[in-house]
Amino acid sequence: MAQAASGRSRRLRKPEMLDLLPVMNLFCCMIPFLLLGASFLQVTVITMSQTEGIGAAGSGAVANLARSEEDRLQPKIIMTDQEMFIGTVAGTAHVCFARMESLRGQQVVTFDFDSLKAKATEVHHLLEEAYPQIDFHKVTILTVESTRYENIVNAIDACAAAGFDQPGLQVAPSAAVESATASVTGRSSS
Amino acid sequence: MSAPTKRHLPLLLGYNKTKASIRGKRRKVEVQLTSMIDMFTILVVFLLEAFSADGQIVTLSDALTLPKSHASTPVKLKLEIQVNEQVIVVDGDPVVEVSPELLSTGNSIPALVSRLREHMEYNRRLRGTLTEEDVKINIQGDISIPAILLQRVMASCSEAGFATQNLEVIKQEGGGGH
Repeated sequence: MAQAASGRSRRLRKPEMLDLLPVMNLFCCMIPFLLLGASFLQVTVITMSQTEGIGAAGSGAVANLARSEEDRLQPKIIMTDQEMFIGTVAGTAHVCFARMESLRGQQVVTFDFDSLKAKATEVHHLLEEAYPQIDFHKVTILTVESTRYENIVNAIDACAAAGFDQPGLQVAPSAAVESATASVTGRSSS
Repeated sequence: MSAPTKRHLPLLLGYNKTKASIRGKRRKVEVQLTSMIDMFTILVVFLLEAFSADGQIVTLSDALTLPKSHASTPVKLKLEIQVNEQVIVVDGDPVVEVSPELLSTGNSIPALVSRLREHMEYNRRLRGTLTEEDVKINIQGDISIPAILLQRVMASCSEAGFATQNLEVIKQEGGGGH
């Protein structure tokens, strides 16, 4: 026959309860304080390199500086209204065609920046193999006047992911950019 | 007529309660807080992650939308230029109105250059000398501004002596940072 449980064993079996109310009070004080101090949008910066175009438009001093080997070899991302190219001293390659996208009810031009990232990575590897003594960081974004700022930043981002993290910006008239790209790609500019 | 018993008083609290529940009134009622503590712990961890001891050092204007980028260089407090499709603002003051003529050529903008030079001169007088940090400037550009406007603003900064131009962007999580 089973014995009745003694008073001691009953006490042992009783579940211990933690008093969580002070923890709750602490959390209730912390949450408004943290909510006030929280920043949900983090603003960062992209530092732009001085490019010849900007320097020439500005003080003119940069244009007179002797260009380093890296400057000479740095690739250019060329964005027109129709397509995007990547150009190096060795030649110019097509990256992608522009496409229209609806943004807040407006049709805007955009590009396939994943293709740019892939091409830029390829170019970075080729340059590193050909010139192992140079650390390649510089890239120039050459655009026509109407290119949206968002596309420029996306192009800078794609290049940075490929290793070109010192971007510069050059803006040229549409006709000049199109004729230049047509001549290097062997197409006739219309 | 006998006095109504406690049990049958209609307007007293406890009406409709059983004898057993009245007997249990003396027992301490404990609210189960564990699940709420769990939720609060998650919330506190998330908020601690988002907490910034510096606070928001830049003011974002409602009139512009900054582009998103994976760039991770933190912003520092510098002279700020805000550019949207209507106006160019320097340090909170509208300086140049954006017109079709402004978007036609690629040179610097004289009114902007003059305003930036004033700032540069003020800094020079205030500190006696200019350090590398004093020639940096932050540009907040709306996502829809054309490249020519950005280039003209940057050319103006260069001409006024602000050699380093930082483009402010909203940090996008995921992917590689630079």
